Amino acid sequence: MGIDRVETGDAELVRRIRAGDIGAYGALVARYRDRLGRYAVHMIGDREDAEEALQDSFVRAYRSLERCNDPARFGAWLYGILVNRCRTTGARAARRRRLFVHDVEALNGTPHPDAMERLEWTDAVERALARLAPEYREAFLLKHVEDLEYEEIAELTGDGISALKMRVKRAREQLQKFLREAEHV
Amino acid sequence: MFEQDDDIVERMIRQLRRPVSIDPGLDARVMGEIAAAAQPGKRRTWPWLAAAAAVLAVMVVAHPWALDSGTSRADAFQFVLVAPQAGSVSLVGDFNDWDPARSPMHTAHGVWATVVPLAPGRYRYAFLVNGVEWRADPAAPNAIDDEFGTPSSVVTVAGRGS
Amino acid sequence: MIIVALLLATQVAVQDPRLERLDPETRSSVIAIVDSAREMGLPSEPLVQRALEGATKGAAAPRIVAAVRRLAADLGTVRTVLGARASTPELEAAVAALRAGASVPVLASLRDARRGPLTMTLSVLADLVASGVPPDSAAAVVLALAPNARDVDLVEFRRAVERDIALGAPPAAAAAVRVNAGARPGTAASRP
Repeated sequence: MGIDRVETGDAELVRRIRAGDIGAYGALVARYRDRLGRYAVHMIGDREDAEEALQDSFVRAYRSLERCNDPARFGAWLYGILVNRCRTTGARAARRRRLFVHDVEALNGTPHPDAMERLEWTDAVERALARLAPEYREAFLLKHVEDLEYEEIAELTGDGISALKMRVKRAREQLQKFLREAEHV
Repeated sequence: MFEQDDDIVERMIRQLRRPVSIDPGLDARVMGEIAAAAQPGKRRTWPWLAAAAAVLAVMVVAHPWALDSGTSRADAFQFVLVAPQAGSVSLVGDFNDWDPARSPMHTAHGVWATVVPLAPGRYRYAFLVNGVEWRADPAAPNAIDDEFGTPSSVVTVAGRGS
Repeated sequence: MIIVALLLATQVAVQDPRLERLDPETRSSVIAIVDSAREMGLPSEPLVQRALEGATKGAAAPRIVAAVRRLAADLGTVRTVLGARASTPELEAAVAALRAGASVPVLASLRDARRGPLTMTLSVLADLVASGVPPDSAAAVVLALAPNARDVDLVEFRRAVERDIALGAPPAAAAAVRVNAGARPGTAASRP
């Protein structure tokens, strides 16, 4: 996009943005787009809705940038905005679940048994995730896919740590069950 | 086939941790939205936004396909170029007869943007900077066959039933 | 009736005010190509747009005429493969795929592999080649996807490949077509 890809920390970029360099926000967007996108895609389960939520979150974050108290932890603050935004989309998207063909490896060669098995597994994973209650899915993704600490998750969701731990545990139990069911179909 | 219970969840986690690629055009859309609101001392609604809305209204009436593309975002496409040094930028392509006067882009802080309604199809396009320099869109696929010696990009819009 | 239709078609091209942007000589050559294309049932809009592109870019007359002529020929070729019911977007995407190295048999296979519009399928093939994926690999991969992938899946696939290439994977590996049955590739590019 014409923005210099210099390795500048989040704090410095935020400083520049606050000084009026809007273009510097583009660097933050590029930096966090895919990672936050991964969470949004798995949480919402619909690619278009996820990208819309992601876009909204980035815009919202820019507009409320003065409320980011610790610019060095911009990423975590941005996650909080995204998690909240995904909560409002959840209900709408719940009725639609699609197979994500984003796994390049799964599509090597003409469809032979391995590739088809791979696609079925991807599909089973997304379906199992979709069957979880939203608060379980949210906690599970933030902990195990996005690798956040319970303290961080508590901070961005406003939920208690022990409640979060319980949700993650239940999520794992249910996912096990759903995946086993998918295997035996 | 009979994995340990925990292993199957771990396998699922590995699957979910795979990178997900998001449309790089999202960057442009975010920057465009931000730039549109950043004009100091002006009203939030830009004149060109109103013009685009008028065009969209015409398109909806005249072309039924515009009604069932799902969300409004599917009909209107925002093109963005970051070019802080440019004095003017136009969007030209198969959708506007390659006429630089049709889609001049508007800027805030070096971010140039415009909105164009697009029917389903495949369009070649490029940005014309300062009336002389041709630039492809960094966020879009390149057009392969360039017969006139300048770079172009491609946008493909899916249609009904796609 | 046919004569009237031909006359009407000619009228359309002559009256297209957009072509007035071309100098008179170029204009008459382009009109002639557009008219004969219409007689063959080919769409004229892509040809007009190509001429206008050349005009805007200040290209020399022979270059504009050659580009329009070449496009007309390619539209004819792909229309033969895709059939008379192919839409203009499909034909344009097919030309892009053809110029990206997809052979006529490949285009025919894609046509047979997929119900519904082929625009996105063909576009993605052309786009993959534009990113550096060798034509054979791109064709094979798109053929594998064509029967079952929706348009939105094809677009996601194309983005994923482009992303891997941007991260340093060799383009052919990023699209990774393996012919050996049972081979499980260890493509580093798609690992986190």
